[in-house]
Amino acid sequence: MHRIEIDRNLCSGFGACADLAPDIFELEPGGTASVRAGESDDPRVLDAAAACPMAAISVIEIQAA
Amino acid sequence: MKQPQSVLIVGAGLAGARCAETLRAEGYDGRITLVGEEPTAPYERPALSKEFLAGERSASDLLLRPPTYWSDNGIELVLGWRVDIIRRRRDETVVIATGARARRISLPGAATAHVLRTLGDAIALRDELRPRRRLAVVGGGFVGAEVASTARRLGVDVTMLEAEPTPFAATLGVEVGDALARRYRKHGVDLRTGVRAVALAPNRVDLADSTTVSCDAVLLAVGAEPARELVGDGLDECGDVAGGPGHWASAAAAGVAAARRILGLDPLPAQPPFFWSDQFGLRLQLVGDPLAAAAVECEGTDESFTARYFVRDGRLVAALAANRAADIAAFRRELALAA
Repeated sequence: MHRIEIDRNLCSGFGACADLAPDIFELEPGGTASVRAGESDDPRVLDAAAACPMAAISVIEIQAA
Repeated sequence: MKQPQSVLIVGAGLAGARCAETLRAEGYDGRITLVGEEPTAPYERPALSKEFLAGERSASDLLLRPPTYWSDNGIELVLGWRVDIIRRRRDETVVIATGARARRISLPGAATAHVLRTLGDAIALRDELRPRRRLAVVGGGFVGAEVASTARRLGVDVTMLEAEPTPFAATLGVEVGDALARRYRKHGVDLRTGVRAVALAPNRVDLADSTTVSCDAVLLAVGAEPARELVGDGLDECGDVAGGPGHWASAAAAGVAAARRILGLDPLPAQPPFFWSDQFGLRLQLVGDPLAAAAVECEGTDESFTARYFVRDGRLVAALAANRAADIAAFRRELALAA
């Protein structure tokens, strides 16, 4: 299980995360990304974090409850 | 692929930090040492010209990671040391991620001017930005424009000195450059174009036409140059030190890529270059590389516009959104299709 955090200071709305994992990330009208679900076991969150050009997405491994 | 016993990363900017983080995230369990010349743990450099100068965020707000992150992840952070000579240990990989430094052109008095690249530079410049003080900005690029914008908000009188007839014309095209120039003037910047500085002093800039701009502080903002002193055989290079656009996003990607090379992992799919700038109430976001463009198509108003850049055969190579954040994702996809 992963906890997903977006650094809103860094996020600049590139949107690669929302393309790679649209059910987890979305772009808000103001242009910054937000996380639809704060936790996920979908491996695409790792792709999205790696693809973020701003290095704004942190993925923290957590123990499933 | 056999992994090295230890990795030494010289340079604790974004590229070096991302390299170290990625090594650990991908399961590397050898020794990682990250050495930085600045006394500060890896931080958000882009904020220096904006929120930090404006006093809206403090130095500790800019840290990329919480202070305990590095030791928690077994990354030895060595700060405040400049590396002059590298003697590689057996079975050690060395990554040079020394980045870039502010360019100082060879003008008389150039050493007396402020530059803006490091947190230390920003602290020194911040002390100068007080209401009704006069700041002369030599160079009409992104750093100069962002500092000018912050300074105007703080009530500083700003004179911007640009050598070309239009700022940003060479990078973004004349139409966008004109729109930005109008914006600077509307925000009270005394923008002087087609002027060349010939000498700098702490309180004045002498121009080639024999006139002088009097001021209380000078910012020399004429770009950055790679810090390549340590680059050599058998050392991995990553980030701005290796050339390239020198943008935050490309440094981040370079750090990840270096870590993956060391571990023998496949590279990640390339992303188009991405750059953004906040200035005078405009958020500019640029995807792709407009330098090769032969034609520009603009749409919108001075408050909110887009520009699309095409090479001669009609292929899209870059797109700019100004206060049109919602358009960026579509531009990125369009660029990927055109590539």
